[in-house]
Amino acid sequence: MNRRIFSTLWSLMQRELWESPGSFKWTPAGIIALTIFFVAVGLIFSLRVDNELVFTLDAIRQFSTVDMEQKRLFMSGALFAVSAMFFQIMLLVLLFYLSSCLYDERKDRSILFWKSLPVSDSMTVMSKLLTACLLAPLLYLAAVIITQLVLLATASVYGFMAGVNPLTTFWLPAQLPNLWTIMALGLVVQALWLLPVYAWLMFCSSWAPRVPILVAVIVPAIVAMLQHVWSLLLSFSTPDTNIGWIILKRLGSGMLPNNISWQVGGNGETEMADVEFSQDVFMSYSNSLEYLARPDMWLGLAVAAVLLAGAIWFRRRAADS
Amino acid sequence: MTTAIHARNLTRHYGSTKAVDGIDLDIPAGRIVGLIGPNGAGKTTALKAVLGLTRYRGRLKVLGRRPDRDRRKLMEDVCFIADVAVLPRWARVHQIIALTERLHPRFSKERCLHYLQGTKIQQKSKIKALSKGMIVQLHLALVMAIDAKLLILDEPTLGLDILFRKRFYSNLLNEYFNEGRTIIITTHQVEEVEHILTDLVFIKNGRLVLNETMDAIQGRYCEVMARPGQIEQARALGPIHERVLFGRHIFLFDRAERASLAELGETQRPSVADLFVALMGEEYESTEGVA
Repeated sequence: MNRRIFSTLWSLMQRELWESPGSFKWTPAGIIALTIFFVAVGLIFSLRVDNELVFTLDAIRQFSTVDMEQKRLFMSGALFAVSAMFFQIMLLVLLFYLSSCLYDERKDRSILFWKSLPVSDSMTVMSKLLTACLLAPLLYLAAVIITQLVLLATASVYGFMAGVNPLTTFWLPAQLPNLWTIMALGLVVQALWLLPVYAWLMFCSSWAPRVPILVAVIVPAIVAMLQHVWSLLLSFSTPDTNIGWIILKRLGSGMLPNNISWQVGGNGETEMADVEFSQDVFMSYSNSLEYLARPDMWLGLAVAAVLLAGAIWFRRRAADS
Repeated sequence: MTTAIHARNLTRHYGSTKAVDGIDLDIPAGRIVGLIGPNGAGKTTALKAVLGLTRYRGRLKVLGRRPDRDRRKLMEDVCFIADVAVLPRWARVHQIIALTERLHPRFSKERCLHYLQGTKIQQKSKIKALSKGMIVQLHLALVMAIDAKLLILDEPTLGLDILFRKRFYSNLLNEYFNEGRTIIITTHQVEEVEHILTDLVFIKNGRLVLNETMDAIQGRYCEVMARPGQIEQARALGPIHERVLFGRHIFLFDRAERASLAELGETQRPSVADLFVALMGEEYESTEGVA
């Protein structure tokens, strides 16, 4: 029975990939191509200013002599920076994907076909959520890994030319297994942290008569505005908390998966000067896990559960008109 | 005898519109039922209720299950084409076949490919690249490859050419249908299905107007082409409908004595289309000018 649920879920998730190859296949592939293209342009450009690569190779030789701690900071930092673009674009793609995932099938009436299959509405909604929370991060992570490997291989070629050992200079300091595990963990925590936002988009997608993403933005915006007006009228002051701000803050703090430890407005008093620049800033499991301990996290998950139940409720009635 | 559909006082209102207005219906297994009615009569709403796609009031059991509670389980034994051209347009033919195979425990890919033989449908084509008729062909092949107990076809042959329609109905009857299966068809092309139906249900304004087996209908209704001199006599017997064809008056009688009808002229069994016009006609006659 459980096996059947798994295989159904997996088939449904594959269906999502088939439906949106642009979001899950071509976009990450495009970012890989773009990143490599810019690196290549950079290298070609450096060839022109640095004719015999004297300075470049010298810099590499210099780098190979700094101590391990420094190398680690530099390598993992650089590779992390590479991943940032992938995950930020992924988030953008997911916002659009989730807001249309229950709307498109209603619009083109293919919901009548999907409902003719023995698949429950909750299963369908779950498959779309899991696609956003697990499958998409997995695919984007794979793209990041490919890019990092290509960059490390390129660096190794330069390393050979400079006569240094690429393994000890680049590969070991990169701590790839560690890096990738932290990224994977960060992505899962990010998905949980953003779950209320995801669920809100799916909820809007399940009933909005048209342009669900607009509805998903406008509804909280109006609520936030009313809240302001109300507060101004009542006490002649701006409200302390505000739904729009809460959502933006959550999106902002969930933006970087591996949660650079300065939390955006965590308590409103974070200053750049407080950020100690060591690799702990990003290479740390506890940063991710720390999110799990926050009451905000669990509050968000509860909100998400309610919204998802709403989305399932609407999907059950979607063909009824 | 098992019952495919059991409905008592089945009702569905949209606002003040009574789409389905208290239907009582029993369909035993192993029948081919034609559900016929004018546009907006409530056919589709009634079928949606049966398929668990709409809320309803009243009692409804389909294959012993409540469709509004248990759609997933029900869909293992029921398959349907609720409307034409609802296959997802982004999908490719082989993807939709693979998905159905994985998601439906009773789907047979071989049978589906068998039904697709002789069509111009390519496995690699995207559905949005297929013509309307080809999409219907594909959908029919998908649905008929499912070993279901109840098959519901809402206007299944819309947009198909005559050759394919004929072939489809003959496949349906000869290869697909058996005693364990029940088929419900709605269509406006009554002539094409009439010879395969075992039961006929007429629906109008959300209510059943007729619900009989074809055998009973043949026993019950009789058409007489009255001789010119006997028109008044025929009218006196209380026909339910009268029409004029090439100057000859044709009367339709409900439960009339055959012997006395035979004296009026040539008797024949009415076609479903004639019966439809007789029983549902007033609306049509009054809107004829508009149409």
